[in-house]
Amino acid sequence: MSSIRFDAVGKSFGGGVLTLQDINLDVADKEFVAIVGPSGCGKTTCLRMAAGFDFPTSGRVLVGNSEVTKPGPDRAVVFQQFALFPWKTVTENIELGLRNKSVARDERKARVADAVAMIGLGGYENSYPHQLSGGMQQRVAIARAYVLDPQVLLMDEPFGALDAQTRVVMQEELVRLARLNPRTVLFITHGVEEAVYLADRVAIMTRRPGRIKEIVDVKSVRIAERWDSHSRIEDVMDLESFVHLRTHIWKSLREEKAGADH
Amino acid sequence: MPLSRRSAVGVTTLAVVALAWVLLTGVSGLVSPGRFPTPADTWAAGIQAMMRGYGDATLVVHVLQSLKLVALGFLASIAVGVPLGLLMGWSKTAEAVLNPVFMLLRPIPPLAWIPLAILWLGLGDGAKILVIFFAAFVPSVINTQVGVKTIERPVIEAARMLGTPRWRFVREVLVPGASPMIFTGLRLSLQASWTTLVAAELVGALAGLGHMLNLAQQDLYPGMILVGMVCVAIFGALTTALLGAVERRALAWKRTRGGAA
Ligand SMILES: Nc1ncnc2c1ncn2[C@@H]1O[C@H](COP(=O)(O)OP(=O)(O)OP(=O)(O)O)[C@@H](O)[C@H]1O
Ligand SMILES: [Mg+2]
Repeated sequence: MSSIRFDAVGKSFGGGVLTLQDINLDVADKEFVAIVGPSGCGKTTCLRMAAGFDFPTSGRVLVGNSEVTKPGPDRAVVFQQFALFPWKTVTENIELGLRNKSVARDERKARVADAVAMIGLGGYENSYPHQLSGGMQQRVAIARAYVLDPQVLLMDEPFGALDAQTRVVMQEELVRLARLNPRTVLFITHGVEEAVYLADRVAIMTRRPGRIKEIVDVKSVRIAERWDSHSRIEDVMDLESFVHLRTHIWKSLREEKAGADH
Repeated sequence: MPLSRRSAVGVTTLAVVALAWVLLTGVSGLVSPGRFPTPADTWAAGIQAMMRGYGDATLVVHVLQSLKLVALGFLASIAVGVPLGLLMGWSKTAEAVLNPVFMLLRPIPPLAWIPLAILWLGLGDGAKILVIFFAAFVPSVINTQVGVKTIERPVIEAARMLGTPRWRFVREVLVPGASPMIFTGLRLSLQASWTTLVAAELVGALAGLGHMLNLAQQDLYPGMILVGMVCVAIFGALTTALLGAVERRALAWKRTRGGAA
C-alpha cells in the first residue's frame, strides 16, 4: 500500500505568507495524479513534502499509512532542476540508488543498461552531465528514478526540458510503463494535454495561496471512450472526449492566470 | 594562445631576464658583485654546494631535507584540515563551535608559532613541521568549508532521496562536490608551506635550504644566497606542478564542454 495523502495541509515559509492553504488530496495506491497550476502556486512545495524535504506548517502528509519524516528510495524524485551528480558519469548517476540498495553487480549492470536504452542515451554511458544537453540530462534524471523501481514516483515537470519529439516518446513510454507496472505517481506539469494524456486524475491549483480548486476525473472517460485502443498520442489527443477535458482544464486555469493580471 | 606559442613567450621572458642579469652585474658592472652576484659567481657557488657541500651538507642533502619538511607539514595539514573543513561546512553546530577558535587563530602569523613549537618539540624537525602545519592548515580548512557550501542543495537532496549511506555520501558527494575548492585550498596550503619553510629552518637547523640561506647571509656570500633562492623557486614550482597534475586528474569531470564524450 503506497497511497499519498495530503490532509488539510498548510505551508508558509519563514515569514508567514501562506504558500499553501488547506490542501486535501488523496493519491490512491497505483494511481497517477497530475497537478497543474500557475507558476509559484506551490506545486513543487507539495511534491517536496511528499518526498520528505519540506514539512507542512499545519496538517499532515502521509505516504502509505505513516507520516513522511524523511526522504528515501521508496519515493523516487525527478527534480525540476535535474540535480544530477556532475562528477558522476551517466551510468554512475543511474547506478547509485541501486548500489545503495545493495543490488548485486550483475543485476545492477543489466538494470542500468535497460534504463539507458529506455531513455535513448546509448553511447553516452561514460559522459559527464555537462557534456549532455539539458534534455539529455533530464532523461538521465528520469532513468535514475525509474531504475529504483519505486513504489511511489514523484515527478516535477520531468519532460519540461525536452524537445517535442522526445517528449512524446517519453510520454508514450511512461503510459506504457504505467499500464505494464502501475505505480503511485504524483506528476507536476504545465502541460494540460500532457496531464490529461498521462493521469488518472488532474488536480488544478489556484494561485497563491495555493489551494486545490478542482479535481478532474480522467480515468473514467479514458476507459469509457477506450483511449487505450489508440497507441499513438496524437490519435488520443484528437478524440472529442480528450479535447473536451483539455478545454475544461484550460478554462479553469485561464481564470487563475487572468486573476493574476489584476 | 596555443601551447607552443605560450611556452615560447615564457622562454623569451626568461632569456631577457638572464641577459639583463649578465649585462647589469657582469659586463657593465652597474651593480656591484657584493650586492648581487654575477652569473659566474652563482655558477661557482652552485658547483661548490653540489660537489663539496656548504654548511656541513651537500646541496642534495639540503634540498631533500627541505622537501621532507614541506611534504610532511603539508600532508599533515591536509589530513587534519580537509576533514575538519568538511565537518564545518556540513554541520552548523560544528561551524558554530569551531569558527570562534578560527577567528582567534587566523590573524596569528605562522612564524609567531615558532617559539611555542620549539618549546614543545625542541630544535629538531618536529617543531619545523609543526610551524609549516600551522601555516598550511588554515587555507585547507577554510576552502574545504566553502567548497561544501557551494554544493547545490538539490544535488544533496538527490543523494538523500537515493538512500545514500553516510560514508558513501561523504566519499561520493561531499568530497567530490567540494573538490574544486578543496584544490584551491591545497594550492594555497602548498604555497604557505614553502613560504614558511625558509623561516622555520632559520632556527637550529643542521641542513635545509633555509639553513643554507642563513649561513650564506652570515658569510656574506651572495652567490650562495642566490643558489638557495633558486632552489626554493625550482622545487616550489615542481611541487606546485605535481599538485596541478593531481588536480587535473581529480577534476577531469569538470573539463569544459566538447571534451571527449
Ligand atoms: N525554501 C523556500 N523559502 C521561501 N519561500 C519558498 C521556498 N520554496 C518555495 N517558496 C515559495 O513558495 C511558493 C511556491 O513555490 P513552488 O516552487 O512550490 O511553486 P511551483 O508551483 O512549483 O512553481 P513553478 O511552476 O514555477 O515551478 C513560491 O512563491 C516561492 O517563492
Ligand atoms: Mg515548481
